[in-house]
Amino acid sequence: MATATAWRTGRATAWRTWQTTRRAYPWTYAVGTVLPAALTIALGHLAFHAIGAGETGSGFHEGPYLAYLAVGATAYQFTVRLILWSAKALITEQRQGTLGALLIAPAGRLPYLLGFTAFAVLSSVAEFLTLAVVVAALGITIPVASPLGALAGALALITATFAMSVGLGGLMIAAGEAHISQNTLFCVLGLLCGYTFPRAYLPAPAQWLADALPTTAAMDVLHGSLTGGRTLTDLAPRLALSLLLSLGYLLAGLRGLPRAEARAVERTY
Amino acid sequence: MSGLRPALRIFAAEALKQHRRLFGQPLVVFSMLVWPVLQLATTYYTLRPVATASPAAAHWPLSADPHRLLAFLATGTLAYAFFFSLVQSAWHLSFERTTGTLELLFLSPAGRLTLMLANGAGALVQNAWLLTCFTAAALLGFGTLSVAAWWMYGVVILALLVPAVAWGAFLNSLLVFSRDSAFLYTILDEPLWFVSGVRLPNFALPAAVRVIGTAFPLTASLTAIRGALLNAEPLSALAPTLTWLTALSALLLAAAALLLRVGEARSQRTGRLTLI
Amino acid sequence: MTTGIQVRDLRKDFPVRDRGLFGPRTAKTAVDGLDLDIPAGRITGLLGLNGAGKTTTIKILATLLRPTSGTVRVDGLDTVADARAVRRRINLIAGGERMVYTRMTGRENLWYFAQLYDVPKRQVRTRIDDLLALVGLTNAADTPVERYSRGMTQRLAIARGLVNDPAYLLLDEPTLGLDAPIARDLRRVVARLAAEGTGVLLTSHYLAEVEELCSHVHVIADGRHLAAGSPAQLKTATGSHATVRVTVPNPSPAIAEVAARFGATRTPADDGAEVLTLRHPDDIAGPLAAAVVQAGGSITALDITEASLEDAILTLTDRTARTEAVPA
Repeated sequence: MATATAWRTGRATAWRTWQTTRRAYPWTYAVGTVLPAALTIALGHLAFHAIGAGETGSGFHEGPYLAYLAVGATAYQFTVRLILWSAKALITEQRQGTLGALLIAPAGRLPYLLGFTAFAVLSSVAEFLTLAVVVAALGITIPVASPLGALAGALALITATFAMSVGLGGLMIAAGEAHISQNTLFCVLGLLCGYTFPRAYLPAPAQWLADALPTTAAMDVLHGSLTGGRTLTDLAPRLALSLLLSLGYLLAGLRGLPRAEARAVERTY
Repeated sequence: MSGLRPALRIFAAEALKQHRRLFGQPLVVFSMLVWPVLQLATTYYTLRPVATASPAAAHWPLSADPHRLLAFLATGTLAYAFFFSLVQSAWHLSFERTTGTLELLFLSPAGRLTLMLANGAGALVQNAWLLTCFTAAALLGFGTLSVAAWWMYGVVILALLVPAVAWGAFLNSLLVFSRDSAFLYTILDEPLWFVSGVRLPNFALPAAVRVIGTAFPLTASLTAIRGALLNAEPLSALAPTLTWLTALSALLLAAAALLLRVGEARSQRTGRLTLI
Repeated sequence: MTTGIQVRDLRKDFPVRDRGLFGPRTAKTAVDGLDLDIPAGRITGLLGLNGAGKTTTIKILATLLRPTSGTVRVDGLDTVADARAVRRRINLIAGGERMVYTRMTGRENLWYFAQLYDVPKRQVRTRIDDLLALVGLTNAADTPVERYSRGMTQRLAIARGLVNDPAYLLLDEPTLGLDAPIARDLRRVVARLAAEGTGVLLTSHYLAEVEELCSHVHVIADGRHLAAGSPAQLKTATGSHATVRVTVPNPSPAIAEVAARFGATRTPADDGAEVLTLRHPDDIAGPLAAAVVQAGGSITALDITEASLEDAILTLTDRTARTEAVPA
């Protein structure tokens, strides 16, 4: 019974979002999501050929540089996109004045947010196809060492992003602010989680910080199973760590959400 | 209202307006210091595998020294922040259409081009001082600066400021009369750093991109700044770049003046502030 | 030299695209052959129903719009050729809009616009203080506008409109949405400015305001000039009648005869009383009451409703609507 209700809430949310987005999809938004990743990959491509003459330094052991960068930039853009949808879901409701109606509905918050995420994952597919064209046009092929590992890594990344979004979404409605918190998080994730360069480059304290984020381990799995030449068995401990951290973030986020909602309501009324 | 004195008063007025709008705003601290610095670090590490490749030093001597590579990227970050902050302030000015204050500006006898210049300059100062101080301190601290003469610092400041302000006046004039400012905002955000050589030396860019980059004052501005600060190039070596920069700034100002004239005439005819 | 504002044969067409970007272009005429004179030291009213062309006219006078044909001269200066000189002499206050910068204080807003108008430096300080006092914002002068109430913001907008000490003040519905006491204060300020020599053009929905302030009123409809004169003249010219109602508790055939003689209508009221109603351009209440008493009637109530400017305008616009209906 509870599962059926949750399923209906999630499905209704995804459907509603699809409908509203379909009606007023700003094409600049699509450009804004595809372009940064495409330009990062292009930047790496140019540097790799014009500066490195097709070589990388001895400190880089992650496989072919451009494939690594393409995977990282795409995954980063995907993370950004997912956070934009999931974390901003509640504050968008707040700005539209529909948060009150949502809060008094008996539906749980988790399926509601999952609905948003499901929509974001689906809607990103078209954008990734565009990115794939860019990657192919630059002549970059991405080796797949372990298809199963890649799938597990991608799922772990979605889970990790979603888990962080729940807490961030609460933070946003409590603070009544989205722009600064989301962009700061994007910058921090981009720097710490090993998307476009190996984490080992970072100073030690930054690496400890990175280890506390579930996306870091998820990216290890994704990179390792694609360009890193590792098997799922090799990567299992990292995968487990990512899922464990995600669970922790999710529980903390869900615990904090009611308090954040109460705070948001108090602030507006 | 012609003459220097009234123009200076408009600059003072806009300086106060932008100070009140921006000073101490958390957004300015984040978008003009925290985010650029974090992005700078990310770019630096992303390029590191390539910069440490053995052929890199031959192609790009600067890349051999991590500090100099960082200085190269830091100057790019700073100059980009200058130019992009003007995109943001023009975007903000376009909202004065909806609040009705833009009509008040056009109701006043104040020179239109002066207003657009003053608005951009005021916003630039409020936005960029933090990152400028930070970058200057970092560059001096790293000891990577290599300058031909002390007064070249003055040339650097001018090469950054003058084109940026002209760029701001142009964008202000453009966005005041533009129907879809979101479009320009998107176009001028990410692609701007790519075509202007913010994160890569010019030689690494394909010819087509370099040609497009030439049209943006940020490109030449960066060439001059990096030449003067990192390669100790004397004024004579930078002369062609600086000449082009001056011409480009003059062109932007002329375009801004034209846009304002045509745009205002059109709004007087149609009652709407839309040109493009 | 103040010679007033002269509007001659003013016409304004707005280009309209009927369908999409490439649809045929037509012109919508907002002002059509208008003549107006706005002398210094007087408040001139500009009245008309919604869409009559009042705001368009005011915006042309303010140089924000350019006439399609015809001329507007401000102290002999052309609003198109000498726009900049004109802008120095005029200012515009439109009601119902915020039109100030919220992050700045009241004083800073006025200072900002004083710079844009190049107000002589020595005068800036005193003028800002005077204006703040005039609109009653002295105590809130250094508070950011975002903490102002709506009324305070609007009062600041009024002070902003006076910052260049304009020779001519254009007021477009200035009291729209203002609280009654603030609207009353504004009327006082405007009256005082006119007494000191400022030429004022006022459009307003509140006709009482126009009647109170304006010595001369122009009525326009569909961008065309309909009538001009003092409010009293307009009322007379349109034949607007005062309405007299006399309540007689003891009606009789004699009273009915009086009513017939005066042309009053009789309507039965409660308790067998009767109300005689008479619309007439002259002051007829006295003779009517006297005749009723002479005919043996008593009077329990006598009520006179004066003709209003509103009636006059409605009559005028009705008339144009009728004449326009004929050729169509």
